Amino acid sequence: MSDDKPRPARTRARRGTKMRRRLSGLLALGVALVAAGALYSVVTPEAEPALAADPAIIREGQQIYDNSCITCHGTNLQGVQGRGPSLIGSGEAAVYYQVSTGRMPLAAQGANAERKPPRFDEAQIDALGAFIQANGGGPTMPVVANGEELRGEDIGRGGELFRLNCASCHNFTGRGGALSQGKFAPNLDPASEEQIYAAMLHGPQNMPVFADSQLSPEEKRDIISWIKSVGGANPSKNPGGAELGGFGPVPEGALAFFVGLAALIGISLWIGSRQ
Amino acid sequence: MSTRPADHGANAPSQPDPTEATPRIPSDDELARMSTDDLVRLGNRLDDVEIVSDRERFPVPGTRAEKRAERQVALWFIWAGIASVAFLVFFIWWPWEYRQPQEDDGLTWSLYTPLIGLSFGFAVFAFGMGVIAYSKKLLPEDLAVQQRHDGRSQEIDRATAAARLVQTGRRSGISRRKLVYRSIGAAGGVLTLGVLVAAFGGLVNNPWKQGKNSALLITGWHSEDGERVYLRRDTGEAEEVALVRPGDLEPGAMETVYPFKESMRSNEEELKEVLHSSDSPVMLIRLRPNVAVIKRAGQEDFNYGTLFAYSKICSHMGCPTSLYEDQTNRILCPCHQSQFQANEYAKPVFGPAARPLAQLPIAVDDQGYLYARSDFIEPVGPAFWERNS
Repeated sequence: MSDDKPRPARTRARRGTKMRRRLSGLLALGVALVAAGALYSVVTPEAEPALAADPAIIREGQQIYDNSCITCHGTNLQGVQGRGPSLIGSGEAAVYYQVSTGRMPLAAQGANAERKPPRFDEAQIDALGAFIQANGGGPTMPVVANGEELRGEDIGRGGELFRLNCASCHNFTGRGGALSQGKFAPNLDPASEEQIYAAMLHGPQNMPVFADSQLSPEEKRDIISWIKSVGGANPSKNPGGAELGGFGPVPEGALAFFVGLAALIGISLWIGSRQ
Repeated sequence: MSTRPADHGANAPSQPDPTEATPRIPSDDELARMSTDDLVRLGNRLDDVEIVSDRERFPVPGTRAEKRAERQVALWFIWAGIASVAFLVFFIWWPWEYRQPQEDDGLTWSLYTPLIGLSFGFAVFAFGMGVIAYSKKLLPEDLAVQQRHDGRSQEIDRATAAARLVQTGRRSGISRRKLVYRSIGAAGGVLTLGVLVAAFGGLVNNPWKQGKNSALLITGWHSEDGERVYLRRDTGEAEEVALVRPGDLEPGAMETVYPFKESMRSNEEELKEVLHSSDSPVMLIRLRPNVAVIKRAGQEDFNYGTLFAYSKICSHMGCPTSLYEDQTNRILCPCHQSQFQANEYAKPVFGPAARPLAQLPIAVDDQGYLYARSDFIEPVGPAFWERNS
């Protein structure tokens, strides 16, 4: 901005600058609006489809409930003393876990409800879930196309969290283990990703609840991908050969001691033998 | 064992007779003239070893049977060579960098360890089998018996050996030279002491050096300068600080929490270390609302609503007791099946444990985060002599 420059050039330059300033202002506003929109769409949680919205589905669910569940859980889901707990607040996740693993309807009262072939199909389970959800709410299932989507990226962190939160009962590779008085934590091999997720959400039987505020959805997914990488139908889960039940040092040591030692003695005898 | 001449006795008439009861010791001249076989035989006689039977496996060299046996032995060594080459190839060129099982080449990666193990193991096995096969198929079959000498040495040997020792001691003059005698004793004694100190010095330790703040009496929840100790959860990322709010736990939830102080925030090492400390893991349990609670005298205000914080360290042998059953409200220790009743101040209801789990007094700050009002009021874990509760 020195004074020895010719004025006309300066005015033209100033006019040009004004135009440019207006233009760039408009542009900046546009960019900011688009960015804000993008940010909004990123930050806003995806609207979950309201599963319980359809009254016809809820009525179907109620019908199933009245036929199969009402004896133990009561006419108003309030539970029956000595038979079954209240289902108010259990939510759709609990229904999905208990019914899709065949644990409910219960075959007989016992220490543990055991896994068996499910009595109801996918649509019936959804209807039952919608009915329970509509009467008291509770944790809901994540909306995914298939179980693969529930596997997280960070298997290592999943393993860390599994050993911290789950391994004390389910064993470090998910083989399950004993609890008190005939109860037990089940083997996780037959459980699908959705079932594991639902179990963490509502804490079936004696399992504690792991709500999203305690174990975030990402952490749950990492745990699921760890479980799936060490068990189930994974062909390369045991590069070391036979897992011997996956119980760790006890069966491995016993096998090494009895079979290995017997073999060594046999070989020594053979080496020293004479024809 | 290639040549075994049978006619050695004929041209050496002055040689000792191998059938004598006590072999005559040959002169140097005779020794120089003896063949390898004669020397072996003489040595056997001197050592009281008798060859009972000595049979060549293939008395006629070059028969088909011998050739076949040779081939069988060589085959093992050839296998060992092939397996060794395979081991080198697998070790150098097989993809060894970790792949997740779900990835396409996860299976290839997972074969790396078995392949190098199998190839190397088979190489060693085949080499050993080759050696065994050689000794079983090609080496002559002989049976030797050595006389066993029972009892102690002859009196003359014992007396002379003892005399030699006594004489050596006397001639060294050590009993006369007091200065040397004593300095050896002193040096030996101090040296022994040094070795003993090096071996066992580390075990001598005063656990009560810090008085009230001795390691057995306090845990990571102790705050010397009054700095507030928050409850922190492990998210699987050791550097991440995630504090706990009461609402994070649903009724029937259990979470393992660790101590955190603001002064630790910038110290990654410390943040990591506290997650592995042996005495500070705490089980934060939120009981279901309809559960009847009995509190221990003196611990009436340790809980926050339905939230109870108990040490995870079993009062029996110090195992982590984290098998929480949320319907029976029992905490089960997997080592010896002790059970603690979470809604009754974690008192032992089954198994070998005799004392309740230590309870951590918790409260919520004005930001809504849970913190420990103080350290445990009793030592956590198993008993020790000086424990007074």
